[in-house]
Amino acid sequence: MTAAPINLKMLLESRSMERCPFPIPMGWYHVDFSDTLKAGEMRNVNLFDQEWVLFRTEGGKVGMSDPYCAHLGAHMGHGGKVVGENLRCPFHHWEYNTEGWCQKIPYAKVMPPITRKQAIVRMLPVVEKYGMIWAWFHPTCGAPVWELPYIPEMEDEKGWAGNRRGTWTASTCIQEIAENGVDVAHLKFLHGSPIIPPVEATYDGPKMVLNIGAGYIVGDNYGPGLNVMRFTQQGLSATMLSYSVPVTAEKTQMNMCFRHKDYAEGSKELAASKKMIDHMIGAAEGEESAGFESVDFIVWNNKKYRRNPLLCDGDGPILQFRKWFQQFYVDADLSKIATSA
Amino acid sequence: MAEIKVTDRDGGEQLVGAYDGRPLMEALRDSELGVLGTCGGNCSCGTCHVYVAESWMAKLAPRTEDEQAMLDAIAELVEVKPNSRLSCQIEVTESLDGLEVKIGPVA
Repeated sequence: MTAAPINLKMLLESRSMERCPFPIPMGWYHVDFSDTLKAGEMRNVNLFDQEWVLFRTEGGKVGMSDPYCAHLGAHMGHGGKVVGENLRCPFHHWEYNTEGWCQKIPYAKVMPPITRKQAIVRMLPVVEKYGMIWAWFHPTCGAPVWELPYIPEMEDEKGWAGNRRGTWTASTCIQEIAENGVDVAHLKFLHGSPIIPPVEATYDGPKMVLNIGAGYIVGDNYGPGLNVMRFTQQGLSATMLSYSVPVTAEKTQMNMCFRHKDYAEGSKELAASKKMIDHMIGAAEGEESAGFESVDFIVWNNKKYRRNPLLCDGDGPILQFRKWFQQFYVDADLSKIATSA
Repeated sequence: MAEIKVTDRDGGEQLVGAYDGRPLMEALRDSELGVLGTCGGNCSCGTCHVYVAESWMAKLAPRTEDEQAMLDAIAELVEVKPNSRLSCQIEVTESLDGLEVKIGPVA
């Protein structure tokens, strides 16, 4: 009897698979809350696979600088200082504004011409919105290609409340985490949801809208770094703002905060909306389904990325999601850039 | 090897040997004629400024944008003339044998 030939690739592919075969995608990313950085303050942060010097000028502008001075490479986050509107290198007191333009070389009679032409230290574009500091990361220093949206829950002065927030670290890349948004089948089997909810995904440039459970959850994704998920149940709604940021290509800091309408203290509505938020985190008592905290990490932290996944008819739009996410990757061969004039 | 006729800042004249394929700045710097070449040929310091004899100007490659920008920058401090060049941007070749330059003033 001759055995039928088998598809060996199916069996052996995992040997050559990687966990996170992606560079850091471009996008707007949360860096910290605005109130954690006072005027004149400076600190080192690790994001996007490198260290940065985060600082706020005396006038209140935030800068996020590559640490190494354009002059002789001193690390400005060790001994450097905010001076007026600039970050000053400790070594020879070269000063840079928040856009990375050299503003002062105290002992030069003539400023090198390039200082008048362009920034000479890489600084990320920064905006402050929703009470947070956001940085635009692009592997080859490209300018922002979309803007952060208006989010009433975070920006309106009245009508909204809630100060719960959380931070978790996942040992995987940001794309793998985001993919769970379209993977509705896992909600039943990993989280224990009673059904596999239907999902509708619409894509519009850097924006993806996910409608899960016919309006139960509507998530507006703006690139890889911001997802506004609005939960609606029995006429009540609550909002989860999710703002993940790549620490390295294989490590992601997941951040979330939760808001609801400012229902009256002691009201049924307030209790219900708070319970909805508990449910999002997975801390609601007496519920059968688990929030992401207890179950997703064990998968994220150990899985590998299958480029050619074997999907079945009940799966969500995984491949469409991947195609959408592809736009955030930029071919950045630094060795080529370094040698070009 | 090219022989360069150099006039220093005090008006003294001497011959300096310069290697083919190397920037003229290096030969001037190594002859201790007051050319510093601090930035190493990056057009960011202007310390290798020379005046090239008019008769030789046409034999040199034209100024690049970066060289022009540095010459513009030092023009606030020293006299930059049509025959001003950064010697780090002049690559020595045999055809420059006999080239005449005058070291520019200190900025």
